[in-house]
Amino acid sequence: MTHLSMDALVSLREAGQEPGDAAAREHLEGCEQCRAELERLHQRVARLKALPALRSGRDRWPEVRARVMAERRHRRNRMAGLVGLAAAASIALAVAIGPNPGPIGSSNADEIQQAMDRSQALESALHGYDPESRVLDGRTAGIAQELEDRIAQVDRELEMADLMEQQAREPQVLRLWRERVGLLDALMDVHVTRASNAGL
Amino acid sequence: MSRTLALDSYLLADADRVVARARAGDPDALEQLYRAFEAPVYNLARRICRTTEDAEDVLQETFFEVCRSIGRYREEGSLWGWVRTIAASKALMRLRRNKYRETEELHDEVTGRQREDTALRMDLEAALERLTETSRAVVWLHDVEGYTHEEIATMMGKTPSFSKSQLARAHVRLRRWLGEEVAV
Repeated sequence: MTHLSMDALVSLREAGQEPGDAAAREHLEGCEQCRAELERLHQRVARLKALPALRSGRDRWPEVRARVMAERRHRRNRMAGLVGLAAAASIALAVAIGPNPGPIGSSNADEIQQAMDRSQALESALHGYDPESRVLDGRTAGIAQELEDRIAQVDRELEMADLMEQQAREPQVLRLWRERVGLLDALMDVHVTRASNAGL
Repeated sequence: MSRTLALDSYLLADADRVVARARAGDPDALEQLYRAFEAPVYNLARRICRTTEDAEDVLQETFFEVCRSIGRYREEGSLWGWVRTIAASKALMRLRRNKYRETEELHDEVTGRQREDTALRMDLEAALERLTETSRAVVWLHDVEGYTHEEIATMMGKTPSFSKSQLARAHVRLRRWLGEEVAV
């Protein structure tokens, strides 16, 4: 007589029906040895569950806490850096355009300046709101993180745009600053909406 | 109430308030989470990893991730279930990093046969320890923690069939090493 394999016995312990389970159960009814084997499997699993818990000899909390605090500091610095970058870019643009930018670039330059002002205002508002110290639900935290990542990406592109020729640079810089304002607006919305929903 | 939900209230009374404070970045609340789940996380890590050093690293990595991601924890399932999945993933990641150790299995196959001849019976703890890391992880996650083969396969980046065959092979070995085989 061919007895049940361990694969078949293990499968019989599962809640769902596997192909071949019906035949295995039929065999089991007539085979005392396989019933005993299945019972031993049940007992082995019960003994595994009853093994004593192993305990750590070291307290790892100080290391975890230090890493968490370091990461928090890093994020705060990044937020502060965003505000600084906007200010620096504003000065750089003023220098690049000069006192008399001429008729061709003046429209773009005004719009860039407006976008930068708006961006700075939003960052100041966001900074004053102090999102780091506030509670976020999981979904909101995910969206906020994504927006922050995209803002960081726009900042990198702005730095790259500085290397471009002036004619090509202005439309690109304007597009990026507008995008940045849009992202900051969205980030502010996320925090404010979350706060009003939570009644804060 | 599921087993993991029951464990939540056993391990951490007032879990909802602690989680809310932890989300706000309160270091005391984060420490409360650590103290509540430190023991089961370490036990899971130690049962899967070969050494205490690896298990302690997994413990640290797990709680770093818990502290970073507590804002993303959805309160649909149990808190322990969420922490446990992070711990299991970190432990399995550690196994992948230590993949070279799997070569011990070949050595084990040979010396294992010789040891059987001496009819030496091991206790369950020693037999579990002697399994390969992958087999032991599957046994522990499936038989003790109650993960399905599909869930284990997802965490390991393998197929459910792989998990099933690892489990069956592990039980064949455990049965042999524990002296539970019956003469046919």
